[in-house]
Amino acid sequence: MIATIIGSALLILGAFNIFSAAVGLFRLPDLYTRTSAIGTAAGLGVAFMILGVVVVDFTWLNLLKGVLAIVAQLVTSAVGSFALARSGYLTGSSPAAITVPDELADDAVALGGASVPLGDTVPTEDTAALDAGPTDNRANA
Amino acid sequence: MIPVSVAIIVGVLLVAAVALAVVRIVRGPTPGDTAVAGDLIFFAFVGLVAVLALLFGIVAALDIILIATVLGFLSVLSLARLLQGGRR
Repeated sequence: MIATIIGSALLILGAFNIFSAAVGLFRLPDLYTRTSAIGTAAGLGVAFMILGVVVVDFTWLNLLKGVLAIVAQLVTSAVGSFALARSGYLTGSSPAAITVPDELADDAVALGGASVPLGDTVPTEDTAALDAGPTDNRANA
Repeated sequence: MIPVSVAIIVGVLLVAAVALAVVRIVRGPTPGDTAVAGDLIFFAFVGLVAVLALLFGIVAALDIILIATVLGFLSVLSLARLLQGGRR
């Protein structure tokens, strides 16, 4: 009974974390802040929900699977968010106009992406260059 | 087993998260925003699988969640690769 109450609280907490990540995804100004919201809040939310499942029906095998899943979730959420944000930058998704340090600019120039802060606008020429295919820029990448 | 009310609360929160992510997919200015919203939809799907498996007493819940976590990582990496058109 106590385990059910604690597990239900953990499940609701995890679901609220994922919902707050969705609110951040809806309201934040550019791709990088959105990626930050998803990578931290949703990773933590799924970890809380896995912990809730383990608490509600506890066996030692379930505890082993749950700990494995939580470790995998926390590690891969951070790495996946990093990869998404980097590829978004390299394909010309502009940061918000208030962003000051820009340390990936050299990689973007090497790949032919944009490094000009344009606010929340659509860089159409870069997406057109992305549609053109991977054949042209491979030599200088 | 969890009470049905807890499952309803969790389900409403997760479905609202999916709805906000779908709005971001429709409005999102760049392909990166679409990929991030798809990532969030996958997380919410894993949560819904967990809650439904607890509600209906399915014993394979943690197996499904463990496999889905690893496969979600692979899907995010392949999405990031796809955004760059195969280049690194």
